[in-house]
Parts: sequence; structure tokens; C-alpha cells
Amino acid sequence: MRAAWTVFRKELTDAVRDRRSWMVALVISMLSGPLLFTLMSSFIAGIEERAAAREVWLHEPERAPTLVNFLQRAGATVRTAPADYAEQLRAGRLHNAVLVPAADFEPLLAAGQSITVEVVFDDSHERAQPLVRASLDLLRAFNREAGVQRLLARGVSPQLLAAVEVEAQNLAPSQARGAQLLFIVPWVALLVAVFGALSVAIDVSSGERERGSLEPLLMNPVPVGELVLGKWGVVMVYSTVIVLLTMAGFLVSMRFISSETLAALMQLQWREVGIFCLVLLPFAGLMAAVNMLAATFGRSHKEAQTYVSYIAMAVQFAAIVPVFAPQRDAFWHLFAPSIGQLSVLMKTLRGEPLAAADLAVPALVCLAGMAACLLVQAALLRRESIVFARG
Amino acid sequence: MIEVEHLSKRFAGKNRKAAPVLAVADVSFTARNGRITALLGPNGAGKTTTLRIVTTLMQADGGTARVGGHDVAAAPAAVRAQLGVLSDARGLYARLTARENIAYFARLRGVPTADFERRLAELAALLDMADLLDRPTHGFSTGERMKVALARALIHDPSHLVLDEPTNGLDVMSTRALRRLLLALRAQDKCIVFSTHIMQEVEAVCDEIVIVARGRSIASGSAAALCAQAGTASLEDAFVTLALGHAETA
Repeated sequence: MRAAWTVFRKELTDAVRDRRSWMVALVISMLSGPLLFTLMSSFIAGIEERAAAREVWLHEPERAPTLVNFLQRAGATVRTAPADYAEQLRAGRLHNAVLVPAADFEPLLAAGQSITVEVVFDDSHERAQPLVRASLDLLRAFNREAGVQRLLARGVSPQLLAAVEVEAQNLAPSQARGAQLLFIVPWVALLVAVFGALSVAIDVSSGERERGSLEPLLMNPVPVGELVLGKWGVVMVYSTVIVLLTMAGFLVSMRFISSETLAALMQLQWREVGIFCLVLLPFAGLMAAVNMLAATFGRSHKEAQTYVSYIAMAVQFAAIVPVFAPQRDAFWHLFAPSIGQLSVLMKTLRGEPLAAADLAVPALVCLAGMAACLLVQAALLRRESIVFARG
Repeated sequence: MIEVEHLSKRFAGKNRKAAPVLAVADVSFTARNGRITALLGPNGAGKTTTLRIVTTLMQADGGTARVGGHDVAAAPAAVRAQLGVLSDARGLYARLTARENIAYFARLRGVPTADFERRLAELAALLDMADLLDRPTHGFSTGERMKVALARALIHDPSHLVLDEPTNGLDVMSTRALRRLLLALRAQDKCIVFSTHIMQEVEAVCDEIVIVARGRSIASGSAAALCAQAGTASLEDAFVTLALGHAETA
């Protein structure tokens, strides 16, 4: 192991002197938490603010004074929609639904006839959905009130219409309610583990080929496996530092988070961050080995970047599989790198208990994959086509 | 001593339809200790491939090569331990100083620190590179890079030295420094083999010349012996006569 230690020390010195690379990696890892959490909290705060305001937008509200009266009694603020409301909804400048009462709203209401109220909205904008829901709920409440009054006027008990009393009980733990949005937190953490030490992984593998130092290096009477192991060690140290800094950023951001709702929904404290590290570090080890292996095929930095970008893309796609999977947290997820990690991290954020297999299986899969990649890389470095083809 | 017998090496074509390329057809030579042996041949003659096989980085399709009695295919680690190699790839680590570049290889070869310091001082004096040692190698000239690469190849005091086109791109002063070093190493009874296509270099330092053309070793001996064999007055004429004569009959 003397050679592996020598290679490790040399590569670490070399990588530390590459200030531009590590400065970028450090800044990104330290900022990703605060940036992400600030964006999420401002997003949620915006929704909270609008929902709390209980605004209802009406086109030509003078057509339906009874509806306006009902809405005001229900505590909503009635706003007059601009004439170009459809345009503004599509552009995302207006988020709330616009209620368009029929021109003959009042006469029809008085005559006890059916009335049309168009509800115009564009729920392709994330922020719109809760606001639209609130407006529709208010409209349904008005419908119910008007209907009840008509039945009472005819001497019919309104209870006849309520065959079923609906009482909703949401069993999701309090943390889970924000979990859909929180998918982005483990996803960013995974990406940090993939991309954090990418430049170092490329430099220690294809960099040797590009600068013509691989051939002299391999002339030394040391096992190729030790050379590969020493190089992997440095990439791993980089990944570890970056993952830990990102987690520290998450923790600090949670302390200063502005949205109370988000703070209540997401339990990301010391325990959860500890689990994140346990899950992410073996994964970072695997990605270090995979990226080094892919970069070994590159004769230049640029070529290596092309190869590792395929891997990064695969990891990103794999990571979103659990979101669309028909069965949440299927056991096979644990065996698929990136899918398994995301599954376990999501579970952690949802506040669900973890089994020993949740931590052990993905870690063992990563260790096995990592060992396989390092062995293959050592074999590749004995190939003439790799040693002598330079960029 | 380096002994090469009937080496051959074939490379696959660039695609499936392309015919394989016979880079080395039949190369044999013996390089003795205390002598400088040159592989002299035009570009593409098979010199570099031969040296890559001798230095264990390539496997021959046929023939044998031994370095200090060790077969390159059977005991590559023992061969590497005895060899100092300056290949055509002389890449240095740009963010490390010259001293750190050399120390890295010394550590990989297990050279004790005290021996490293003594040896580095000797090489720095021989190669006139003391002022380069503590500078990062980024931006070094070709000559400066060659000096560092050569010191790196010699830091473990190898008994055998293989250099592939060592004077490529060097200025006069660097070439003279290299010659000085080779002569000093010969005096220490080292076995030195280098490949070149430059006649003056061969005449200036070599004891033994092996002419390689089209993948074959076609003649060997001292400069005078080759001139006598070709019936010419200069080594250059002898080379052209022997190499072209072979090319025409091949």
C-alpha cells in the first residue's frame, strides 16, 4: 500500500493547488443549501401569503352582487379582474382563478334557475393550484348556500341532500405533507455527490493521458491497482468534503429559514443530516470510481467530460424514477444506485422509520460497484490502446 | 545488458476492414553494459515500438527481449525495477515543482530520502538544472522539460537506460547537457540504448549502432564498421545505402 499512499499524497497536493476547481466546488456546495432553501421558503411563503389573503377575482363583479356579498361574508377580498385576464393568466402574471358570472346572473338567481359561472385559470403554474382550489371551494360554498335557501323556500329539508357526511382525515405524518416539494432536497444532495469531485476525477485519469504522464507513471515497478486506489482516495476525499459542506449548508439554512410551514414540514436536523451522510458517502465513493473509469477512456479533458456527462445524465434520470414509480419504496429500489439513495433520503425527510436494510443494501451495492470499477480501471491501464493513445 | 531477439509486433487496423500494420517485423540487437547503443532509423521504422516492448509497456507478438537477464514478458516488474526510461511521452505535473515531480517517482520506486537528495544534487549538476528545481513545471521549455523527465527517469540510479528520441526539439545547450550525461553514465558501466534518426548525435556518442528500417534490424556495428560494410566514407551515406538497399529488397 506504500505506492497507493504515495499516489494519494501527490494527487492531493496537485488537486489542492488547482485553486480554481476547488473554489468553484466549495462555493457551489456551500451555497446550494442556502440558495435552495431560500427559494423554497420564498415559494411557500408566497403561496401562504396569497392563501391567507383569500382573494377572489371576478370579471365584472357588478353582474353578481349576491355572489360578491357572499364572498365578503366568507372573509374573502373581492378583486376586479383586468379585462385581459386570460392573457395575464397564461403569462403567469395572474395566478388566481377568475370567476366570470353570466350577464343575467342576478335575474336567473332570483328566478331560481340554473346559472353559469365560468372559472378561468391556468394551473400549469405551480403557484396557481392552491389558489384556484380556494376559489373553487368558495364558489361551491356559495352554490351550497343558494341551494339550501331554495330548498328551504320550498319547505324541503336540506339534509335530504346530504346522504353522506364527508369527514376527511389526512393520515400522512406532518413531515410528509411537504415531501413532494422536498424531493428536490435529496436530489440536489445526490447531484452534489455526483458532480462535486468531477474535475478531480477527470484530472487524475484522462489528465494523465492528455499530458503524457501516464506512460512514465506506469514504468514504475508498482501494481497498477495501487495507482488507481491512490487516485480514487483523493477523489473520495474531495467528494466527502463537498458532501459534508453541503449538509452543513442545509443545516445552517434550516436554522434561518423564513417559512414556518416549510420549517414544520421538513425535519432536517442533525439526525437526518447524519443519515444523509451515511447514504451519500458510499454513493460518492461509487461515483468517484465510475467517473474515473469513464474518464479513463477520454484522451483529453474534453473527451472525458463527454463520457462522464452520460453518467451524470443517467444518475439524474434514475433518481426521479421513484417519484413516478407505481409502488412507493419498492424493495428493488435499494439495489439500484441513485434510485435507492433517493428512496431512503425521501423516507428520511418524510419522517418514516428506516430499516437496517435501507442503509445497508445501498451501501453494499455501492461498495461492490466501486470495487468492480476500480478493478476494471486497473485492467484498462494495462491496455496498449489506453496507454499509448493520447489526446 | 539488453538482449533483443527476433521481435515482432503487429497492430490491428483502425477499422475492421483495414489490414493490420506490421510495426516490427524482425528486430534483434544486443546492448552491452558500459556502452551506448543507438537504434538508428527513419521515422516509422519501428524503433519506438521496439523500445516500448523492451520497457514492458507493450507485448510482443513474437521474439524475446531480456533486460539484465530478466525476460520482459515473464518478469515485467523486475525489468522495470532496473530500467530508467525517457519515452516520447514526457508529461510532467504542471502544478508541481520540478523537485516534486522527481520526488514523486523516487517515492514510487522506494528511494530513501537521503539517497534522493544526494542523487538529485548529482543529476542537477550534470544536467545544469539546479535553478529549475523549485519552480512549478508549468511553462517550462522543451529543454527544461526534457531535463526534468530525464532526472525523473534516473533518480533511482537504474542499471539500464532507454531513451526514445531524446534530443527531439532540444536546443544546442540542452543537447550538449544530454550528451555529457550519457557519457558520464557510460563511465559508470550503465547499459544505454537510445533511438534516433539524427546522424550527428549517433556519431558524437554511440559505441554501437543498430540500423532499423521497415521493422527490421538490417545492420549493426560501430560507425566505422558500418561504413566499411556499405563501402562509404560517411555514416550518413552508409545509413542511406544500407537502409535503402534493404528497403528495395524488402
